Amino acid sequence: MSSAARIHWRSFKWAAWLGWEMDSNWTEPWLFMVYSVIKPIAGAFILVLMYTVFALIGQFRDPDLFSYIYVGNAFFIFVGNTLFGTFQVIQSDREWYQTLRYTYISPISYYTYIVGRAASKVAVAALAVVITLAFGALALGVRFEINLAQLPIFAAAFVLGLFCLVSIGICLAGISFMTAKHTHGLAEGIPGIFYVFCGVLFPLTALPEWAQSVGRGIPLTYWFDLTRRLLLPPNTISTGLGFFNDYEILALLLASSLIFFLMSIGIFKLGEFLARRAGKIDMTTSY
Amino acid sequence: MSTATATSRIPHRVKLNLQAIVGRAYPRVIGANREPSWIFFEAILPLLGIAAYVFIYKALATRALGVILTPTPSAPYGMCGPNPCVDAAQQALFQANSIANTNALIATVVLGGAMVAFWLNVLWSMASQLYWEKEIGNLQLYMMAPMSRMALLGGMAIGGMFMTSVRAITTLVVGILVFTVTLQLGNPLLLLGVFFVTLIALYGMGMMLASLYLLWGREAFNLSALLEEPIFFSSGFYFPVGGFARFGTVGGAMLAFATAIPATLGLDAMRQIIVPGSPSLPIPIPWSQGAYLTPDLEFGLLLVLAVMFLFLARYTLAYLEKLARREGRLTSRHQ
Amino acid sequence: MDFAIETKDLLRIFKPSRKLFKRKNPNGNGAPEGPVTALENVTTQIREGELFGLLGPNGAGKTTLIKILCTLLLPTAGHAYVAGYDVAKDPFPIREKINMVSGGETSGYGLLTTRENIWMFSQFYGVPSKVAKARIDELFKTFGLWDKRDAKVRTLSSGQRQKMNMVRGFVTDPEILFLDEPTLGLDVNASRVIRDYVMGWVRRQKGKTILLTTHYMMEADEMCDRIAIIDHGRILACDTPENLRRGIRKDTTFRLEVDTLKSTSMFTGMRGVKNFSAKNDIANNTTSLTFILEDESPVSDILSSIQSQGSKIHYLQKSEPTLEDVFISMVGRGLE
Ligand SMILES: Nc1ncnc2c1ncn2[C@@H]1O[C@H](COP(=O)(O)OP(=O)(O)OP(=O)(O)O)[C@@H](O)[C@H]1O
Ligand SMILES: [Mg+2]
Repeated sequence: MSSAARIHWRSFKWAAWLGWEMDSNWTEPWLFMVYSVIKPIAGAFILVLMYTVFALIGQFRDPDLFSYIYVGNAFFIFVGNTLFGTFQVIQSDREWYQTLRYTYISPISYYTYIVGRAASKVAVAALAVVITLAFGALALGVRFEINLAQLPIFAAAFVLGLFCLVSIGICLAGISFMTAKHTHGLAEGIPGIFYVFCGVLFPLTALPEWAQSVGRGIPLTYWFDLTRRLLLPPNTISTGLGFFNDYEILALLLASSLIFFLMSIGIFKLGEFLARRAGKIDMTTSY
Repeated sequence: MSTATATSRIPHRVKLNLQAIVGRAYPRVIGANREPSWIFFEAILPLLGIAAYVFIYKALATRALGVILTPTPSAPYGMCGPNPCVDAAQQALFQANSIANTNALIATVVLGGAMVAFWLNVLWSMASQLYWEKEIGNLQLYMMAPMSRMALLGGMAIGGMFMTSVRAITTLVVGILVFTVTLQLGNPLLLLGVFFVTLIALYGMGMMLASLYLLWGREAFNLSALLEEPIFFSSGFYFPVGGFARFGTVGGAMLAFATAIPATLGLDAMRQIIVPGSPSLPIPIPWSQGAYLTPDLEFGLLLVLAVMFLFLARYTLAYLEKLARREGRLTSRHQ
Repeated sequence: MDFAIETKDLLRIFKPSRKLFKRKNPNGNGAPEGPVTALENVTTQIREGELFGLLGPNGAGKTTLIKILCTLLLPTAGHAYVAGYDVAKDPFPIREKINMVSGGETSGYGLLTTRENIWMFSQFYGVPSKVAKARIDELFKTFGLWDKRDAKVRTLSSGQRQKMNMVRGFVTDPEILFLDEPTLGLDVNASRVIRDYVMGWVRRQKGKTILLTTHYMMEADEMCDRIAIIDHGRILACDTPENLRRGIRKDTTFRLEVDTLKSTSMFTGMRGVKNFSAKNDIANNTTSLTFILEDESPVSDILSSIQSQGSKIHYLQKSEPTLEDVFISMVGRGLE
């Protein structure tokens, strides 16, 4: 291994360990598991109730759209956890543990360190997604239809999707070098952008025309679309992406992921530079 | 101390505590203004969450309208619910109802989305605040000062309420404009009453949680994070909470549990007051057929909750302080 | 009121505590923490108007005592009275009369200015806003913080922060002020200013009392009317600096400077040696030794055991006891 690779590996390994300890250590393992699952299930329940209420008042049942919403929401857990896992690192290390200055001056790659810190959150998200999907299939009658031949393309899409999410997370981390304590606003808001524009809970066609164009510019849109194509039976929903075939969508995902990766490096370095220049690397902003 | 001096000290203590409230509210208000990025993060970004939920209802409505308006051989006038519409008149009526219902649901989302701000503020800036103060080293200075501890929490709550109201109103106004929501203002007095009592009850609950969180330590943060979704869910921020009643015993139990959270009753009452077409799916009263919780009733219940939470907050805080002094942890940093 | 502060047989034990959701054994190998006795049999009386010092090594129990007196911590047993009120039963009237500053604290809100922070704390004591502001300005000028009056707290250096903390202590004009290592992290000039201000504050006004802890002998010696030496939670001696020194004057104090010694264990328990301290000076490759002896007879034993290590003696002097010698004779080790 080259020395640069060694540094990255060391940063990642150490940070992943730290992240896992911090995430899991606060309580008994079983409680940690319950915790990791209750949040997403409760989130899914909001949608179940919204659908039920609409169906009750309007006397209208729409199982296709319900499956669409349910699966989109389940995979969105990855978005929430990965983004939160990456950009929360700077906030919590700086404001809360006040260790950022010491980590930052140590000989590691801080970029990789952040990725490592997010690793455990991604792992936990995977578990929650599986449980949410299983719950949907068993208790709520969501029908899945998986074609084994498409497994490789599913796996490829999955990896690219995560890669892309981590890149976006690092962009945010770069920004949060400069901002005050707004973790919660951010935690709510940034995933919100994807929630709205990426056709997670409703087809892109429900959005106004300009917003649909925004959605087509975000790689996650393709990720969600492809994932649903591969998991759910054919349906009558017009997604606004029907004119692409699966491979074209995969290619789009690849291209946009690379762009986000390069952006993440740029923004991170810039944020870091600006923060150092402004003396904000280790500020605390509590009020 | 003689009774004479005891009574003469009351105004002094009142003055002291009022000063303390102002003192503690000050950093909340001023601090947020010093860091203007909060407006973007805390008032504009939440609109996205609202938008997502609004579009779900819109997507559902688009498909529902499609079914109502699309003639098929077996249903020449489209479908009116599970059955074909009898004639064009019934179809038009059904269509109008569907549109009105969707608008009411969208209004519910906008209202709930604005009120979410308060709940988040209670969770993240009230409930976990004492713990946070401990970590910065402020808590022991507070504990050593002569003002009432409730004044301290009260100051935090008032500062938080003020700032959050700004955020919530921004969200509400922008939400109403962007999603062209129609609201009615039939009973403004009751609306204001419900709003303020809800806030008092909610922040009272936050004050109580603040002490409990301090007892539980670092776990508290995970608890706050854990509570977010279940509470959005059970309090019905994005749908009429009465919908639970359609889920049999489990739903009934959920509903009973949810009404103990001030936000639930407050939201339901405000929804009934300002959303035209309400009450659709109000909260039924289990022991009397056909009766449901009206806004007046909910206002009364909220009053009870407010008093109860303030009382509990005071009690837990006193307990906490006693424990902290006895065990020598809790109030000082990193312990 | 007889005493500003009075304690009777004060005992404080810290028991390890279990938390609600805490994992039983985070690392799987942590030995259970035993209870710590932080204070034992502490009986003192501090008069109104006194500047009283607590001197002791790390972990002696100084901060614990201050916390009990500040109503932050309850005694496990025994009694403590501040301004005539029992700390356990009557904390509120005490709080109106006291304030506390501890060295190195990082209190305050990063987004507020220094003045706003202090003002906020003054409001918790019911100081009228106008009065508070005037006092703050005056104290800022005194402590050399005037040009930082509108700076955000997060931009302060640690010494400036400490000065701000001192302002927080004085702004409420308490009757009794607790200072836990007040000059921690301050440069020579700033410490000088603070020491002078503190002494002036107690002596100029009637009815003011200060309890102060420090690790600096000179500071204690110069400032305090009386000093208590505390170690392992016990008060070993309590008197004026002058009397403390006189107390060991019948003992003999010797100072030596020798080539660096590998070990000093042979002095422990040597006949006639009451206590000693050793400090290595790496730059000059020497060890400085201070011995408190019952009389001069052990000197020859000491010298021969130094020589048996092959170490040369650079310097030997019999001297007047300092406060540091008092400390060494009681605690068994030096402070610096
Ligand atoms: N909250 C606590 N829990 C357990 N043990 C404690 C606690 N606070 C203090 N101790 C212990 O009590 C003893 C006295 O501590 P204290 O802080 O009073 O010492 P100190 O004299 O102020 O020391 P220093 O000079 O280092 O500030 C120490 O052994 C310490 O470990
Ligand atoms: Mg100490």
